[in-house]
Amino acid sequence: MGALEGLALGLLLWRVQLQMFLNQTIRSRQAGRIAGTIAGAAVILIAWSWEAFITWLGVLASHRVVLRIDPVQVLSLAFLAYTGVLVFSSLLFSLNALLLNPDLDVLLAAPRSVESVLASRMVVQVLRLSLLSLLFTAPALVVLAIANHNPLIPFAFAALYVLYPVFVVVIISLVSLLLIRVIPVGRGREVLTLFGIALGIGINLANFLLNPAFRDSGFARRPGLTPPLPDIPAASASWLPSGWAGRSAAAVLRGDLVTAGQWMLLLLAVSAAIFTAGSVLNGRLYMAGWIQAVRPRRRHATPRVRRLGGALPLLSPVLAAIVIKDWRMRTRDLAQLVRFIMPVVFLFVIFGLRFPRLLSAVHSLGDGPPAAMIGLIPAWILLFSLSISLGLSAVSLEGKSIWVYAASPNSTLRLLQAKCWSTALPTAFVVALAALVAEILIQPGWLWAVAAVVLAIAEAAAVTTVMVGIGAVFARFDWTDARRMMHPVGIFVGMGLFSVVSGASALLLVISIALAAVTRFPLYTTWLAAMTISVGGAIAVAALSILFGNQRLRGLEVG
Amino acid sequence: MGRLGTVLSTRLLTKRYGSLTAVEDLDLEVGAGELFGFLGPNGAGKTTTIKMLVGLLRPTSGNARVAGIDIADEPEKAKALIGYVPDAATLYDKLSAREFLEFSGDLYHVERRLRDRRIAALLKLFDLQERGDDFLSGYSRGMRQKVSLAAALLHDPQVLFLDEPTVGLDPQSARQMKDILQDFCREGKTVFFSTHILEIAERMCTRLAIINHGRLVAMGSLQELRHMVGQDGQSLEQIFLDLTGTREDDVSAVLRGLES
Repeated sequence: MGALEGLALGLLLWRVQLQMFLNQTIRSRQAGRIAGTIAGAAVILIAWSWEAFITWLGVLASHRVVLRIDPVQVLSLAFLAYTGVLVFSSLLFSLNALLLNPDLDVLLAAPRSVESVLASRMVVQVLRLSLLSLLFTAPALVVLAIANHNPLIPFAFAALYVLYPVFVVVIISLVSLLLIRVIPVGRGREVLTLFGIALGIGINLANFLLNPAFRDSGFARRPGLTPPLPDIPAASASWLPSGWAGRSAAAVLRGDLVTAGQWMLLLLAVSAAIFTAGSVLNGRLYMAGWIQAVRPRRRHATPRVRRLGGALPLLSPVLAAIVIKDWRMRTRDLAQLVRFIMPVVFLFVIFGLRFPRLLSAVHSLGDGPPAAMIGLIPAWILLFSLSISLGLSAVSLEGKSIWVYAASPNSTLRLLQAKCWSTALPTAFVVALAALVAEILIQPGWLWAVAAVVLAIAEAAAVTTVMVGIGAVFARFDWTDARRMMHPVGIFVGMGLFSVVSGASALLLVISIALAAVTRFPLYTTWLAAMTISVGGAIAVAALSILFGNQRLRGLEVG
Repeated sequence: MGRLGTVLSTRLLTKRYGSLTAVEDLDLEVGAGELFGFLGPNGAGKTTTIKMLVGLLRPTSGNARVAGIDIADEPEKAKALIGYVPDAATLYDKLSAREFLEFSGDLYHVERRLRDRRIAALLKLFDLQERGDDFLSGYSRGMRQKVSLAAALLHDPQVLFLDEPTVGLDPQSARQMKDILQDFCREGKTVFFSTHILEIAERMCTRLAIINHGRLVAMGSLQELRHMVGQDGQSLEQIFLDLTGTREDDVSAVLRGLES
């Protein structure tokens, strides 16, 4: 009863979400929103066209080459891998939907059973996940339908997308309600973020250590040898939902609709049973007061951090206050801290594990600017990641608390100045450290190495400033979820400008080497001149972006 | 008017959002040492007015002056004289109250030793000494309101603007806040606050202004407002209802309609 009522309520909530989406996009009268919708639609269209093209190439290739791959195994593996995505997104969703979202009180106050309210949340999550799956795979499915002369393929997959996530969503909802017995609700998101990082690093490490493709010595392809594929034989087991979905999908693709229907029916029956049982259990757990099980812990500022006291050498008290406040906010909020630490950790995983092979390749270049500049690549990747994540979010970090600064007797330019310091200091420090370590290991000659590290620091400061300015132009102050701090257009512009700065620097390096060879000028002179121009250009762009950012902030009204 | 002359004035202050006029041609004069109550029904334009007076919103037309300084022309100079407590103060959750006050002090250019001395005194005044090093994320709405008021007082402003200051406060804290505001005014400084709680306004305010649909409908002492509606001895609530057009019989009629 609760499950059926939940289904109806879920569809009602889904309709409301759809209405809100339409109001914000198609029905919006704001020029910016309309432009955003058109741009978003264009991006989706391009991605769809590309996906359709690639699938079409795959279909053509499959007619020429006979691959000894079992479609059931491959599709079951795909569904098993998809389960991982479902688990993580459901964990985040469950915490929000079942415990944190403010509309929960409104729903619970309505004359609906608790079971149906919680079940409705699961329905919304299942619909959302299936729609996303369809969004990502629709072009490939349409191409396969045309190639196989089977128009039912997209519909059959759509049905699988609706049925398959049910058991994951139900189990994760139950687990979330049980987990908060141990983790306070307010910290749930942080714990999940930590879990996500550990999972990400674990998967990368396991992939590197276990995946045969990475254990292959050298990148050369050996003719006649099938590239090794990672495999989990249990994925297609007939007792696992991934096996049922895989069998059903494979049967649809080969046109065997009876077999496809049988496996789909099994999935439907099990999903319905799990959903019904899960709705009842969820309701019971909720009613039993499990959410009040953990008292919120009082969190203090540690004495070590308290000693910061608000002073930084060379900075005025206002600038220092903002820099220290931002540092505290970034380091105390796990979601913010991850933005800072994640790139460093992944760089270590990506470069650190492959470093010996890369190092020997760079050593073969000998002394000089090419080796010194190649040594800057890890630092450059870090700069890209940190400047985007910290710089673009620097002004938005204030969020709804922007009134505190806006009501104070300080100019917007001073705020931007402080934000530049608060992002450039950590970024330049990490970038310099990465550059220094790489140059010490590469040893391109001390003069080149020192110049390269100085260049890295100067570019880091300039590029971060560029990002702070862009972040100010596209600042968002109404976010409640840290993931929404950055405006998509801001990210796009920031990445574009970073590419321009990187491209110009690389071009100038090549020109300086060519110029030295042609004019017989000392290479160091031409290289230094080229890098000075590169940094000068970046500073000019930074000044412009701060100018635009300041204009935006000057016009800001805290309504 | 305050005994020490005008400290806050607005002239034809107007704020429009497209076709919607939130505040229209508002003329106010508030004297030094006054505790000025700004009343109005929901959506009357109280918060918009306060936000224009503290420089968070730019007026569409007209001007506002604090101690003779135009807030739009010289915002930084004017803001240095202002303390502001919003209705629902969004504070930095990951800072402790002490750290937030240190941050506020630095933003308002309060010398460091003086700042630390005042923070200690304000935390004591608001009974927040024990929780001063707890993160603000763990504070109740009332405690946040206290931290917000402490931050507004830290730089010793000339004019204090408060938007619904007593919302979320328990009776003891509300009383404490009233005492603090009255002490503040006794020092010749000005408090400008909006409220829905008419009893508080009636007991505390030296002068009142009532705004409805963005327009000023009355301004003066309670006695002057009584004269204005022509009925001496009336409560502020009755005056407010008369001036804003909300009649008890209208409400009863609507409620009866719901029953049928």
